[in-house]
Order: sequence, then C-alpha cells, then structure tokens
Amino acid sequence: MREKTGVIITAMLLCVFMVFALSGCLGGREINDLEIVIGMGVDKDEKTGDILLTAQIVNEDASGRTQGSSGGGEGKAYWNVSSTGESIFEAVRKLTHKTGNRLFVSHNQVVIFGNDIAAEGLQKYIDFFLRAHEMRPTVLILVAEGRASDIMDAKPETEKFPAMNIAKLVKTYGYTSHLYKVNMKDFASCQMSAETASFAPLITVSEEEGSKDVFVPGMAVFKNGKMVGKLNHDEVRGVLWVLGKVKSGVITVPSPDGGGKAILEIIEAKSKATPEIKDSKIIIHVMVEVELSLSEQTTAENLATVPAFGKIQDASEEVVRKEIMAAFKKTSELKADIFGFSEMLHKKYSKEWKSMKDNWDDIYPTIELDIDVASRVVTTNLLRNPASPKEGEK
Amino acid sequence: MIFLLLIYALIFAVTAPGLIKRKEWREFAAFLVMYAIAFGLGLMYVLDIPIPSPMKGLQYLISDKLGLKYPQK
Amino acid sequence: MSIEKGRISGSQLLFMFAGFVQGSALLVDFTIGITEQQSWMVILAGLVMMVPFILSYAALAKRFHGKNLVQINDMVYGRFLGKVLSLYYIFFLSMTLSFNILDVGELYKNFLMPDTPFIFLLAVFAAACAYAVAKGIEVLARVSHLFVITGIFVIVSTFILLIDQMDFSNFLPLFELPLIRIIQGIHILSAIPYGETLVFFMIMGRLNNTERAAGYALGGLLIGAMNLLAVSVRNTAVLGRTQSIWTSASFQSIRLIDIGTVLTRMDFLIGIAQTILIFFKCSLFFYALATALSQLFGLKSYLPLILPLAGIEVILAATVFQSPVDHAVITQNAGIIYSSPLIYVFPPLTLLIAKIRSLPGHERGGGT
Repeated sequence: MREKTGVIITAMLLCVFMVFALSGCLGGREINDLEIVIGMGVDKDEKTGDILLTAQIVNEDASGRTQGSSGGGEGKAYWNVSSTGESIFEAVRKLTHKTGNRLFVSHNQVVIFGNDIAAEGLQKYIDFFLRAHEMRPTVLILVAEGRASDIMDAKPETEKFPAMNIAKLVKTYGYTSHLYKVNMKDFASCQMSAETASFAPLITVSEEEGSKDVFVPGMAVFKNGKMVGKLNHDEVRGVLWVLGKVKSGVITVPSPDGGGKAILEIIEAKSKATPEIKDSKIIIHVMVEVELSLSEQTTAENLATVPAFGKIQDASEEVVRKEIMAAFKKTSELKADIFGFSEMLHKKYSKEWKSMKDNWDDIYPTIELDIDVASRVVTTNLLRNPASPKEGEK
Repeated sequence: MIFLLLIYALIFAVTAPGLIKRKEWREFAAFLVMYAIAFGLGLMYVLDIPIPSPMKGLQYLISDKLGLKYPQK
Repeated sequence: MSIEKGRISGSQLLFMFAGFVQGSALLVDFTIGITEQQSWMVILAGLVMMVPFILSYAALAKRFHGKNLVQINDMVYGRFLGKVLSLYYIFFLSMTLSFNILDVGELYKNFLMPDTPFIFLLAVFAAACAYAVAKGIEVLARVSHLFVITGIFVIVSTFILLIDQMDFSNFLPLFELPLIRIIQGIHILSAIPYGETLVFFMIMGRLNNTERAAGYALGGLLIGAMNLLAVSVRNTAVLGRTQSIWTSASFQSIRLIDIGTVLTRMDFLIGIAQTILIFFKCSLFFYALATALSQLFGLKSYLPLILPLAGIEVILAATVFQSPVDHAVITQNAGIIYSSPLIYVFPPLTLLIAKIRSLPGHERGGGT
C-alpha cells in the first residue's frame, strides 16, 4: 500500500513537471500579434545618412473586408511603415516604435534596394538578410530606379499588395525572358566570387494618366556589390541565352520577301557554354538551340514553306547572336563578368585561372565568343496559311 | 532553482525507495555518488559558479602544450 | 554476469548502426567549412578508412561472445590497466554524449525555438533518452528500423525536391583544396560520425549470434554513410559557393525548396528527422555509458545510474563550451585528437593481445 502511494505521488510530481517542460516553446506568438511583412525597402535617409527601412505590413482588418461601398473610403490592405537606423537590424527593431509588435519576416517576398544604396555597394546591407533566422534565402532582390519607398507605395490594380505584385512580376520573367529572378542566395553566391558580376532586376514606376504602374525596365549590374550599370531587355536576354535560362519570349524577324515581319515565340531554349584556352587566348564556345513557333505574321506571304522557314530560322539565329554580343559588349564596357566565365574557367582550367584571376577585369573584354545558334520552327500554330488572297488571284 | 530541487527530489524519489527496499546497497552507493555529482553540478550551474570544462583542459594539453593541431583556416 | 537480459538480432544491429550514423547528418555541416566542395570525397574516404577498424570491433565482439567492453578490457589488460582503459572509454562516451545533446539544443536554439531557455530543452531531451534507455536495449533495437526509414525518407524526399535547383558543376574543380584540409576533414569524419560507433562495444555483447556481426555492422555503416553522402551532395549541388558561410548548410538548402506555392518552408522536416535520429544516437550513448559505469562498479543493473547520469550530461552539455567558436575549434582539433587512440589504436591492439594470449581460453578473468 505504501509503495503504491509513493508511486502515485511520484507520478503526479512528474506530471506537474512535464506541464512546465512540455507545454511548447516560449517563442510562440499569436497570429494577431504578428506584423506580417511582405516586402522591405532599403533607402538612404537624405538628412542623416542612415538607412531608411520601409516595411510593407499586411493590414488584416482591411484586407478581409468585403467590397461594400463603391469608390473611396476603403482602407488599404497594407501599411508601409518606415524607420531609420545605422544598420538594418537596428532599423528593424526601431520599427517597433511605430508598430508595437515585432516584425514577422518569414513571409517576406521581396527586398528592394534604393538606387543610392545600390550605387554605394550592397555588401554592407545584405548581411542581415542572410543571417537573420526568420529570413528565407528565397527572398527576391530588386533595385529601384529611384527610391524603394516610392515603389512600395504604388498600388497595383489586380493585386492587393504592391509587394506581392512585384514578386509576381519577377517570378513570371519567363514570358519575355527580358529579366531574371534573383534571390538572396544567388546574389550572395555571386557576391562571394570576386570576379563574377551579379545582377538584379530594376523596378520603376511609370505614371500614365494618373495611375501608377510598376514595371521592370531591365536589370542592374553589380560588381563587388556596387551597381555599375544597367542592361536593357535585349541585353538581359543575351545574358540569359548564354546561361541557358531563357524560358520563352518573342523574336521578331523581317519576313523573307521583305513585305512585313514574322513574329516567333520561343518555345524552348537550351544552351551550353564551354571555355577553351588556345594560344593564351580565351575562347568561350556558346551553343544555343532554340525551338520557335510562328505566332504572328504581318505579311501576306505564306511563310510555311521550306525556303521561308530556312530564312526565318537564319534571321532568328542572327537576332540571338546580336543579343548575346550586345550583352557582352555592354558588360565589357562595365568590366563585369556577368556570364560567370571566370567561374567556368576556374572549374575547367583551375591552374591557369589562378594566374588570371587578379587581372580578370582586363582579361574579360578580350574574351572571344564563338557563338553557334541553331533554331528550328516547330509549329505554325492554328494557321497553315495566312488569311490573304491566294496566289494567282491577285 | 526551484526546478532543480524539484527534479532532483523526483530523481531520488523514483530510484531510491526501490533500491533500499531490495537492499541493493552497492547499487545504492553508486547511485548516491552519481547523484551527488549531478546535484553538485546542477547547483553550481544555478548559482552561476563557473564549471571547469574538461574540453578546455584537453585543448590546453593537446593543442597548446603538445602543439598537435591543424592549421587554422 | 550480464547487466541486462535483453538480446538483439543481427539485422537489428544493422539498423542500429545505420540509424546511429544517420544521426550525424548535421555534423557533416561542420566539415563543410573545411572541405567545401570536396566534402563528398572526405565522407567516402572516411568510410573506407574505418572499415578495418569496424572489422576489428566486430572481431572482438565475436571473440568475446556476450561480453561488453569493460569486461573485455579487464580480461585482456588485467584488472588495473583494464579499468584505466575503461575509464578512458567512459570519459570519451560522456564527453561525446554531452556534445550530441548540445547539438540538439543548438539545433533548436538556432532555428526552431530560439526563445526557449537552453537548459530546459536539454533537460527534456535527456529525460526522453533516459526513459528509452530504462526500457532496455531490446526495445531500442526493435524500433531502430523505423528511425532508419524515417531518416532515409527525409533525405530522399528533400533531395528530389531540390533537384531542379541543383548545379552539379559546383563540385568542380575537383582537387583544389590543400591536402592538409582534406586530411583534417577525413580525420573529423572518421572520428565523429564513424568513430562514435565505439558505442556499439557495449551493445554487441548482446547479440544473440555473433557469427555475422561484421557483416551487419558494415552494412549498417554503409547505409548510414550513404545518407551522409546524400546530404553532402545535396548541399554542395544546391548551395554551391555559399555552403561554407551558413551555420547549417542543410537547413538553408531545405529552406530553398519552393515548389508550386505549396511545398515551401520544409525546414521543420529536417528538424523532426534530426531530432529523432539524434535521440536514437543519444539513447545508445546513454545505454553504453550506464552499462559501462555499472560494469565498472560491479553493479547488478544499470538502472539506478541513468537519471543522475542524465543530470550530469545536461549540465556538461550546457557548460562545456563557452561559444560556438570554441565549439568548432576544439572539436576540430583537440576533440578528435584525444579520441583517436580509443578509436584507432586500442581495439586492434586489444584484439592482437587477445590473439597472442589466446583469450578467452579460460573462463577466469584476466590478470597475469
């Protein structure tokens, strides 16, 4: 009997102890205590030179409201709150002066760096985004053409939150392949290689008839974290051709008979770039294979013939070649190895690379590109002939 | 502090009666020794008395005195 | 005299070995800072290096059927030296156990539950292990295959989910790093994930049939090593150059999983799997420690020692290193050096001496 009571008492003490020890972690936060951040912008504060951090926070009450009245009076579904600090972490914590709750950044979609910060050099500013334990390496990184806080204020038409809209813009790069999706991890990876340049999408606001639209005009090129130049859409696609990251897009070529244009859609693109060192000259062999589809034509001529296809294919190969060369020319001027040729050399010719890597800035523009493009038109979509009068009836 | 005492009381309550009842004195002695060490260490931890780390001692002996170590990156 | 009545089968030994080595998956992240893109080589090289030693462990178990290490030491080296050696072994076990408990605590503190007081995490974890050990080795052996399957499932699924983010050119250039770093990497790997299998010295005595112990042990080791290899390959292929800057490369690569909009934020998966596997590892350590100590003291059962041991180990885990930097530096240098004789020298030596003296010829214990 006595033993039984002893056991019961011990068991009860154990249960009491377990209640303390097992009732979950102390880091638990209730949902309505969270300030869910979906976008962050980093600028330089004009007055003090400190960092101006803008965080876009989901405003739960407003975003759930049903559309009652038409027109104004509706609350914004998001809240752009900003604070300043000498470092990003300090600015983040100082935001609690205005929000009251600590920020919850795990849902952050984008980080936008203002133009002035990008020109100064991002090395100083990205550490927090990599090190903080709630941050995810999949966050997209962008550069604003002006100030990041302005971009984050542009209310999109079909999306509730500007940050989500911006993230969508970047993630759907595949439709045009005129930009590319860069997340924190990729950026950090490029940063870690002193010779490779990295790039990030630019974003800007255009005002037309009173409505502000955000769009991506191109990409910013970074060398050692500092923004040194920009690439326009075609140049960006040139880079993507070589990297093999082109998903889809439009190529316009003049039609064979000169009467109009043939517009082709890129269905699939593959590429392979191999470095070679010949007579102490570096040659990069780029082989691109493109599959196209005839999506539109402005001429009345029937292009679905073998000679016409041949001419179109040649013309499109020329377009690809021109885009790649344009990208190379621009990056040579900037002395920014955006293709990662230095890494390719490192991987294949590690001994020679060791002697080259210090002068890479000077060596890069001297690289010879041997571009070989093979394109094929695989479909003409739903039309076999264009809707034009038949031959002989004209 | 309270947790420390609670836990150790619990440990004692769970193991000791069985041992005493079965007159397993050798086991009881070993248990008491380990228990004393554990409790002592726990007490030192709660009272913020620095506990000497065996690994630090080993590192001193091996890396500093004997110099057996790999080059730091 | 046996401290415990439980018996385990050969295939259970295999799974125990496998689960044990799998539990070291996050330790591989340790060596990435040293061996970077050549980590996979180091894992394979460490495996190959350990094979003869594991064989000697198994041979010892076979020769001294049913006996655990403390008893073997007594028989081979005589009562005094044998006990000294056993104390060395016990010291190694208790230190390594505290490191493993510390690893679990750090996993939670850095990634999953950063605000919970450290010592509570450790205490709860240790309590769970203690409970498992009190149930006996047979219970642990019976569930070992479940742990192994969980581990394999997590590794394979994360690997597959990350395939589209992998870039296999990250493994080039192949032989870039200085040899001394590779050697250090091999040393670390064979001492930590593989060398900790010294634990099994206390367990192989419980085999009901030691005939094919070597085969089972090696098989388990191989499965575990393949797991580590998969982890290392996945991390290198996905993270490339950035792998050496993260505190835990495995965590970061899993955080990158982003399929559709549904399969994201999978890092909890690795948290669960690692906790389970390290739990298994620590339970085995506890078992070995408790049985070794009780054998040394000549006790009839190891049960009463479990809880005080847990208490000591928790405090050790909380105080042994003052900072993560200390942790890394000491483990990569003094830590593996002091345990090296135990892993590489003594087992073959014991085997040799036993062969020379034709032990165990007689049922009497050692002594000249």
